[in-house]
Amino acid sequence: MADGHRAAYLAFDRFPSSKGSAVHIRHMAAELFDRYDGGLLCVLGGGGLPAYQREGNVEIVRFDAVVPNLLDRAEAFSAWAAEQLAPHRDSLELCHVRDPWGALPALDTGARLVYEANGLPSIELPYAWPLAAPTTLGKIRELERHCLTEAAAVVVPSYVIRRAVIDRGAAPDSVHLVPNGADPAPAGVPRPEAAPGRYLIYVGALQPWQGVDVLLRAFARLADLTDLSLVVCSSVSANRARPLRRLAERLEIADRVRWHHMLPHAQVAAWLTHAELSVAPLTATPRNLEQGCSPIKVWESMAAGTAVVASDLPVIREVLGDLGRLVPPDRPAELARAIRVMLEYPDACRDLGRRARRHIEDGFTWHHARNRLAAVYETVAGH
Amino acid sequence: MTPCTVTTGFFTLGKCGVMAVAGCPACGRPLCASHITESGLCPECAAARNQVGHPAAAAAYRRRAHRHRTAAQYQDAGWYAGFDSYDRAAFDPGAGAQQDYLDDGNDALVDS
Ligand SMILES: [Zn+2]
Ligand SMILES: [Zn+2]
Repeated sequence: MADGHRAAYLAFDRFPSSKGSAVHIRHMAAELFDRYDGGLLCVLGGGGLPAYQREGNVEIVRFDAVVPNLLDRAEAFSAWAAEQLAPHRDSLELCHVRDPWGALPALDTGARLVYEANGLPSIELPYAWPLAAPTTLGKIRELERHCLTEAAAVVVPSYVIRRAVIDRGAAPDSVHLVPNGADPAPAGVPRPEAAPGRYLIYVGALQPWQGVDVLLRAFARLADLTDLSLVVCSSVSANRARPLRRLAERLEIADRVRWHHMLPHAQVAAWLTHAELSVAPLTATPRNLEQGCSPIKVWESMAAGTAVVASDLPVIREVLGDLGRLVPPDRPAELARAIRVMLEYPDACRDLGRRARRHIEDGFTWHHARNRLAAVYETVAGH
Repeated sequence: MTPCTVTTGFFTLGKCGVMAVAGCPACGRPLCASHITESGLCPECAAARNQVGHPAAAAAYRRRAHRHRTAAQYQDAGWYAGFDSYDRAAFDPGAGAQQDYLDDGNDALVDS
């Protein structure tokens, strides 16, 4: 480290946070820093996170400028990251990024670039920013093309997004599949004290494409199962749950739905473990169909040994295979029916959960994911 | 005993908690022996002043001119210059679809 860092990991994400992306960053960055005797982590701060931390040979710097406009903020982040990287230009061998905003300054250093594409802004942005014009998204797409073409390796969590990045200029033999992982919940993890008798669980964020509204509507159809509750472990704040809470009230299920927000990861594992079923009701939007995702909630449910009912989408099939129950997306009645049938066969459910857990243990823990990433670093370094 | 209040950890953050032996002259927070930087400041204050008792950072300080040149070149590369005010307007805070989904200041671009 005396001559500067040899590796940097850049993410336009707040880290740490309660989101799935933070779990992912944690493991990927840890592998990078293990291999390169430490390194520089450039992430978003705010929310009381320190602007600077040093943990052994790892330095963590956080961008905390308040820039209201998203595109201006991305630009400011890139310029800031360029300044963070500059002192290490001579020593940097590898930069690992998750988005174009980090890729631009990283490419500028001359270090080899590993671009981890979990999502593509040109597909993702219009969901949150519907006024973004096609011409603007076209420019962002060009930016993605530039970064993906220049990357020494592109890491993707699923075959669906593999197609999307190749479509945007990534050379097929530079694209490596590194599925997400999950660590099996510790055996005998105690039931949360606040846990209701029997409950379904949803874990994750609450954007419309997650389909939590579909789940609420399905749950309303199970009103006759009076001992059944729905637990929502939201990775985002209570504010963001307001529209869904209003929906639960309209559906007259509010008293049977429990909301938890931004619980620490370990507590979520306990809630998952003791649920009857975990539901991943993703919708059939282009976001989920074309770009894909690698839903950490599904991985973690499997790792907890809890049977999963999920939307039948290519990205889910890839993860779950026949180790869960697939239902047509966006169809509350079908989802309710599937849940009801599974609840009627608890033994089959438990068996499904056990098999899913074994599948994770055998090949898809974070340890496995890190080994796959290490192989990518090996390839890149060897060139 | 006054505990050191420097934030530590990678994924799970907490306060250092080791017995403090001094206070940061800039922000006043109590510091343990291992969290006092060479300049006597806490790590955050030292970093803000480009003095993180760290060889690379010291080099960074010396290369300040170089760093500014880099940032300028980077701006000249033009990727962001390609976005005009029309492009940018769509990403103003008021332009989001569901403010209820955005009010964390956390844009959740890529979250599964
Ligand atoms: Zn200080
Ligand atoms: Zn300390």
